[in-house]
Formats: sequence, C-alpha cells, structure tokens
Amino acid sequence: MPQSDEEDDYMNMVFEDAPKAPKHETSMQRAARKRKEAESRSRQKTKAEREADAIAAREEALATALPEDNKGFKMMAKLGFKQGDSLGKSEDARKEPIKIVVKEDKGGIGLESDKKRKFQETFEEARQAAKRAKEEEGDFLEERKQQQKERSAEKDLDNAQRTAERLFDKEAEEKGTPTAEDIPLQRIDICWRGRVRRRIEKQAEKQQKRELNNSLSSRLPTLAHEDEDDDHDTKTALGHDITPFYTTLENDFGHDDPDLAEFEALSVFERLERTLVFLRDTYKYCLYCGYQYPDAAMDGCPGVTEGDHD
Amino acid sequence: MATKREFDNEDGYQAKRVKTENGNGKVDAANNPYLAHWNEDSSYQNDFSGSGDLLTKFTRHATTAKQARTAEDGPQNPFTGRGLSDKYMSILKKRRELPVNTQRDEFLDLYQKHQILVFVGETGSGKTTQIPQYVLYDDLPQQNGKMVACTQPRRVAAMSVAQRVAEEMDVELGGQVGYSIRFEDKTSQDTILKYMTDGMLLREAMNDHNLSRYSTIILDEAHERTLATDILMGLLKEVVGRRPDLKLIIMSATLDALKFQKYFNDAPLLAVPGRTHPVEIFYTPAAERDYVEAALRTVLQIHATEDEGDILLFLTGEEEIEDACRKINLEAQDLIREDAAGPLVVYPLYGSLPPAQQQKIFSPAPPPTKPGGRPGRKVIVSTNIAETSLTIDGIVYVVDPGFSKQKVYNPRIRVESLLVSPISKASAQQRAGRAGRTRPGKCFRLYTEKSFKEELIDQSYPEVLRSNLSSTVLELKKLGVDDLVHFDLMDPPAPETLMRALEELNYLACLDDEGELTVLGKLASGFPLDPALAVMLITSPEFYCSNEILSLTALLSVPQVFVRPANNRKRADEMKELFTHPDGDHLTMLNVYHAFKSEQAQENPKQWCHDHFLSFRALQQADNVRLQLKRIMEREELELMSTPFENKKYYENIRRALVAGFFMQVAKREGSGKTYMTVKDDQSVLLHPSTVLAQSDEWVVYNEFVLTTKNYIRTVTAVKPEWLLDIAPNYYDISAFKKGDIKSALQRVSTKVARKDAEKGRR
Repeated sequence: MPQSDEEDDYMNMVFEDAPKAPKHETSMQRAARKRKEAESRSRQKTKAEREADAIAAREEALATALPEDNKGFKMMAKLGFKQGDSLGKSEDARKEPIKIVVKEDKGGIGLESDKKRKFQETFEEARQAAKRAKEEEGDFLEERKQQQKERSAEKDLDNAQRTAERLFDKEAEEKGTPTAEDIPLQRIDICWRGRVRRRIEKQAEKQQKRELNNSLSSRLPTLAHEDEDDDHDTKTALGHDITPFYTTLENDFGHDDPDLAEFEALSVFERLERTLVFLRDTYKYCLYCGYQYPDAAMDGCPGVTEGDHD
Repeated sequence: MATKREFDNEDGYQAKRVKTENGNGKVDAANNPYLAHWNEDSSYQNDFSGSGDLLTKFTRHATTAKQARTAEDGPQNPFTGRGLSDKYMSILKKRRELPVNTQRDEFLDLYQKHQILVFVGETGSGKTTQIPQYVLYDDLPQQNGKMVACTQPRRVAAMSVAQRVAEEMDVELGGQVGYSIRFEDKTSQDTILKYMTDGMLLREAMNDHNLSRYSTIILDEAHERTLATDILMGLLKEVVGRRPDLKLIIMSATLDALKFQKYFNDAPLLAVPGRTHPVEIFYTPAAERDYVEAALRTVLQIHATEDEGDILLFLTGEEEIEDACRKINLEAQDLIREDAAGPLVVYPLYGSLPPAQQQKIFSPAPPPTKPGGRPGRKVIVSTNIAETSLTIDGIVYVVDPGFSKQKVYNPRIRVESLLVSPISKASAQQRAGRAGRTRPGKCFRLYTEKSFKEELIDQSYPEVLRSNLSSTVLELKKLGVDDLVHFDLMDPPAPETLMRALEELNYLACLDDEGELTVLGKLASGFPLDPALAVMLITSPEFYCSNEILSLTALLSVPQVFVRPANNRKRADEMKELFTHPDGDHLTMLNVYHAFKSEQAQENPKQWCHDHFLSFRALQQADNVRLQLKRIMEREELELMSTPFENKKYYENIRRALVAGFFMQVAKREGSGKTYMTVKDDQSVLLHPSTVLAQSDEWVVYNEFVLTTKNYIRTVTAVKPEWLLDIAPNYYDISAFKKGDIKSALQRVSTKVARKDAEKGRR
C-alpha cells in the first residue's frame, strides 16, 4: 500500500499537549526555578566566549576617551587646557593616542589590506549585481510568472506520478502480480520511478536513525543486554526488530540509476508531458479529466495538456 | 607602566643627588658635585704646564680650520702640552680622510655665526667623533671653565666613543675627555669634552636648570628621538633663550633635518655625505602569507645563488629569532650535503643575549670546506638592534620582512606593551643601508613596492608618543617646567597621555591637586625608578620591610631572573618550585634573591645559578642596582629595616608595602573562573602562565599588563581587599566606582571592616 509521506514519526518526542506551567508556583517550585536561573547566570562562559568578551571590552575601552572628571584633566584645565585641544605649541600635534593593533598571525606587510581589498571587491560585485537586478525589474515580473507556471507543473507532475503508481498497483492486484513496493526499482517506468525511489530513501533514512540510536545504546555496556526473554514489544521498543538497513540499501541503491538521472534532468514541463502521455498510453487515463477511459481512443478528452482542457 | 629601567652593572656609582637645601635653606654648593663650577675655590683652570699658550693665541669663536690643523699637527698636544705619540699621528692621518674633514671651515663658519646648528651626517661620516673636537678648538671651554657635552642615546655608545676620542686626542680617558652614564662618572676637573647619555644630561638639568657648566651642547643621534632627547630638545629650546652664550648642535643621521630646523627657529643646516655604497632594493611581487617562512626561504636562496657576502635578517624577538636560527641551520645542512652551497653559520642577536654571545656576530664567515670550494657565509638574525645601534662589517645582503617589536602605550587602558608592528619607511631605508657598508649590496624587502609606499608610515613614532609619561612628568616638574600643557615638544603626545600621568602621580601623592610637587614627589624624583616603584620604596619603612622592598625593587628593575630553556622546561619548573611562595611571584622572586645571597650559593654563584635555572647576570645586576638604590636611601635618611623572619607578619608586611606602590595595578577574579577584571579599567585578563599563584586568590596586584591576542597580567601577588581600602583610600573611594562586581565586593569589605572596628570599640 502506498504510504503517505507524512507518516507519524514516533521518534520525535514533541508533546503537543504538554502540561502548561501552573498559574501559581509552590514555594518548592519557586526555589527550583530560582536555582535554575542562578545556575544559568553563573554558567561558565566558554573559552571562546570569554576571549571574545575580553577583546570586545578592550576595543571598547581603547575607543573611549578619558572623561573630564579625570583628576589629570582638572590639573590641565587650570593651565588653560580645553577638551579638543592638543599639547605643546605646534598646530598639528596629535589629539588621539596611537592606535594599538595586536598582530595575531605571521602575515606579511600588505596581506591584511590585500584581504580587505578582495573583500571589498566581492562586496562591490554583489552590490553591482543587485543594482543590475533592479534595472531589470521588467524581466523580473516575467520571471515570476514563469516560476508560478513551474510550480503548478510540478504539482501536476506529482499528481500524475501518484496516479501512475495507484493504477499500477490496482492492475497488479487484479492480475495478482507484485505491487510497486515489491518489485525492483528498475522495473518501474521511468516516469514515476523517481517518486518511489525518494520515498524509499526517506524511509531508509528514518530507519538508519533508529538503528544508529539503537546501536549507540547497545554499545554502552550497561544497556547492551541482549536478553533472550525479551518479548516482542521490548524488542520493538529497543529497535531490535529491524533488519539492518544497509542490507536493503545495498540491494536497491548500490548503483546509480543513469536513466532516472537523465529523466530528472529534463525540465518540469517536459517531464510532466511525458508522464501525461505515459498515463494515456498505458492506462488510457487523463489527469485533467480525472477519468480512465475504457478505450484507447479516449473519446471525449480534449487533449493531453491542461491548456487543452480550458 | 612598570618598565624596566636599565641599570649599570659596574659598581662605579657615586651619590649623584645631594640635597640642595640644608637646615637654613641656603644652597650648599660646596658639597654638590653638579655645582662644583659655582665654587670659586675649586680651580677649574686646567694646568697646561706652561704650554697652554698653544691655544691661548686662539680667539674664541674666530678660529679657522687651518689654525686648528696646525695645532693638531703638534709636535705638542695643544691640550696637555705633552709630546704627541706615534699612534696619535697615525690616527690623525685617518681622521683627515673622513668626509667631515673637508667641510671643517664651513662648519666653523656656521657654528660661529649661529647659536643653534643642525648637522646631518650619514653613518660613517665621522660626525660623532670629529665634530666635538672641532668644537673644542673653537669654543675653547677650558678658557672659562666650561665643558662641551655630547649626548648619546645609549650607554655603550657614550663609553666607547669617549674611549675612541680620548685616543684620538692622545689623552687619558677620564682626563680631558670623559664620559658620564647612569651610575658611572668617568670625568675629572680636567674634563672639557664629556660624552654622556641623554638621560644623564636630563638628570643634571634637574639640579642646574640652565646647564651652566656647558658652553656647547651637542645632541647626537637626534633622529632616534628617544624620550630623553625629545625632552632635552624642549628644555634646551628654553635654555638657549635664557643663555645667549650657550651653543647648541643637533646631529642627525637621516635627512629629515627640515623638521629639526623648523623646530629650532629655522636654524641653519650643514649636511655631510656619508661613506656608503649603493644598495639595490628588491620587492616581492605579492604580499607574503607568512613573513618568517618567506624570510627563511629568502636567506637560503641568497646562500645558494648569490655571490660571497654575509646576510643580515631582521626579525622581531628572541623566540622568533632562535627558532629561525634553528631552521636555517637545518636547511643549510641539507644544501651543504647536496653540495649546493658553501658552509653557513648562523648567529642570533637580541638585547637579552649575554655579551659574550653578542660578540660572536663579529667572528668572520667560515672558510670553504675544501680549497677552491664554494665560499662560506655568515647569517645574522637580529632584532632592530642591528638597525642603528650595532655596525657589523661584511654585510652585503639584508632581508627585511618589515616588522619590529615596538613599545606602545595607551593611556585609555593604561597598558605599555611591546607589540609586533610594521616599521616605518625611514626604518626600512636604514635597514637597507646596512647592506652597503663594505661594498655595493642588496636588500630584499618581503613586501611589495606598493605596500612600502602606501602602508608604511614615513617616520617611526618617537618614544614620547609611545610611553607612559608619569616618570617624565615627574622629571619635568623637577626641571622647573610648570606649564606642562604648553611645553614645546617636537611631537607632543596625545593629551590623554599627560592626563593619565598627572592622575597617576596625584594618586601616588607625588603631585597635589594643584599639580605641584609634594615632598614625596621630590623624594621620588631622586630615584632612577618609575614613580610607583619609587613610592613603594620610600614608604616601605612604614611597613617594617624596607630591606625586602629594596631587594624587590632591584629585582623588578632587571631582566627576568628565571631561565626556562625550551629543551629543559620541566627541570626548570621543578627548580623554580624550590623558591615558590604560594602568595605570589613577587615573594617568590624575593626567595630567589635571599637564596642567591646565602653563603652556600655565594661559594660559586655562577654554578649555583646554572644549577637552579636562574640568570646569574640578572641577579648580579639586581645586586648592583640594590646597592645603588641603598645609597640613595641612606642619603635620604630612609630607614632600612626588616620584620623578623619568624614573625608571622613577615610576608604580609611585604605584600602590604607592595600595595602602597601598586594599588593602581590590581585585578579581581571574576566569579569562580580563571579570568580577572582589572580595577577601574575593567579589562578582562588572565594570570600569565608563568605565575606561581594558584587560581584561588580573589585580589591580586600585578607588575605588568601584557598585551597579546589574550590579555595577561604578569608577576602577580595575592592581596587582601581591606588593605586596598586602608592603604590607598583615595583611589579606592567606593562612591566613585562604576556599578558592578568590584564595587559591590569593595562595599562588602568596607561594611565588614566597619563592623569589626565597631566591635573593637565596644570592647
């Protein structure tokens, strides 16, 4: 049976109806909350955080001039010094202390500015690109229309592929042959093979996650009890019921599928058209009529594309 | 802050500072060596034993080069009247070949006509040795009991140049020609030419604001712009106004003379070309990713492909240099084995290297391994000492990555630190020039020509812009400069630097709120120490531990006493543990000193230091500095005392005394973590890995704030917050603190103290 992609994920521990915090906390709860808050406040910052903080504090202090309530300032003011003056008698004397630059690497002279220039160039390029895009605003509207078309085509393609699978399974059931689930991917028509493959991959991934969790816990000595008496439920809960995923993977995805890759590389419109034609040829089905015609002539259907059905 | 001052390791110190006021407030000139020239009784007339008339025919400031040369030719020494030696004659011949000799008349003309003269002579022109002698023959200082002074930025230069000039003049060193450096005065009543450090002349100016014993002052190597030279220039600019009879010559090796001319009211300029060869300059096509690696590559490439000639590579610091030496050696071995290059020897060169090892750089390059083989080569990997201070002949190739370690000071976070920074264009030119001393050379700059033009600043920042000025401000105050704001410096520092210095001195009680020197300030200015150290020392008798603080001050004034060689760190750390005091690095250093002075160690101190991974040189130096400081203390009648060692307050008293000087360098631990927060500046810092202190102490004083990619405080000792409030109540005025952890902690302490006091009162 086709599985829905939105299969319930029991590994996900989100409780939608989790109990809300009580309106009034008890004294014990309050104490616990306070303790937690204090803990998070006094949490040791990581080394990197501390270093970053220290450098930030240094840079800030280096950028802040001494205030006028400084005792030295007051003494200087008595000699006629005002904020913004410089010392001595020459006019071009410095007003700011020499900048402190801590060199952190062995980069040669000019390397820093090279980097800066490169960064600026990239930045400039991005700016230019944005500018160009703005100038081509007319084309932009056109493009959006195209995008919308693509999205709708993609939706139709998905529908068409789902239908193809449904019809295949229906036929198989009637004939008593294996369903899509049980035949190798290669035997599925290229038009809808991608959809099946993606579903299997997704399942495999989920299984892999479960197994990984399982194997991790089993590697811990305290948890690694392979108890003979474990009943079925326990085994399921521990994930021991699953056959290791790599065996299945090995069989189905061991090698790439060049045909599929070629098909997937086509534009969405082309893929849609080929799938629609496939449905008509194989099952006498029209997606837009939503009807499986009894005869190959498909009498009554206006055409292959959606446009024909307007 | 806490800069290490250089001290002398000789014992030649003579009490320099004499109280100028006695009981009745009169100047006691008779006992003041600086003021000897005031004293009519002392005969300053040189005894020429009858032949002095050789020069008495000369009219002061109206002589010619020809006259002077005739006098120089002898047969009698014009200054002593004695016969001239053969050595004198042979040196004289060489002196006449020096570039400056051709312009002697021109020089005399300008010197006679102007009060101030700017003289530019490139390295090798002979200016440092010749100009002062030219001056002697025209200024004739002996005729009116004056002297000619010539300043040098470095002690070694002052000593060696004086020695050389004494030979050239055929006189004893310390006779007509002498030198004066901190803690060593090699001059006499006969001295008419005195070489001295710029710092020394500044100290003299403190006692004699007009420098009245000198008729001519020559500031040599002014282009180096040391702190002392800059202050002297500002000072002398005022003095020449007060003393029309004083002549001033500014000598510089670089062509930025315009700035000097402008500063000295458009003084005339005389330039003499040097004796240098052309140097070809090469740049890299693109910026280097790693300048050290690029430098090593370049050195090896030169060795493999260039003609004979030694290589000078500039790097930034000891560690980098030692590492580079090792790598060059390794790589060169490979080259030699493959017979792709001749033999190669590598020598490191940096300030803290023992003198014996520094001397090695002068040994010649190795000979070829076999006759007719590829010539050997010498590589010197140096800090920027080799840029100006030291001249090494034979260098033909210079590799310049463009960096040096430079002192920087920022008043906003009060940090004085050595940081690797790009050099200036002037510095790069100076480095390149080193390749052209013997023959045409090549300089490989490891940056692009564009970077050279666009990224390097023209001139290096003078020291005055890169230093904490609290010491200087104290000196200026002592020099009688009251208006510090308008003091005419060539490059005035940022106003905040002065602000911070004044504030620090005020908290140290060296300046009152009006900015006037206090009694403590006057006393502190007499010590050749940073104000914080001086104040700590002066107040230490109040804590009954002046003996110990004296030792500690000496230890803090010399290079690191602990040695930790890269290949034997573990053993070195074990040895250090023997001296460790759990309360801090200061106390640990003190333990080291006491052990060093023990009978057992003194049996063979050199071996003892070696065994215990301690620097013998540093400890010896500390011993010497201690002696010199002790003399000043005795002269100032500061009591030397100790708390009995058995007393449980022994170490506590020392820690309290530490607070009295360093209360502005305190940090408090943040929460229970590893980081500390500096008081008032709120900078997050870590204890330097070298500390003996466990992380459990909440409050610490530190000697140094080291700036790297992380902020460190180095040399730390645990203190109690009560002491801070008690000893430095002005600084620890809680109401003035920013809201935060430190303020609330201090508040808690204050409340606790108050409660205890109240309890005591009730009892």
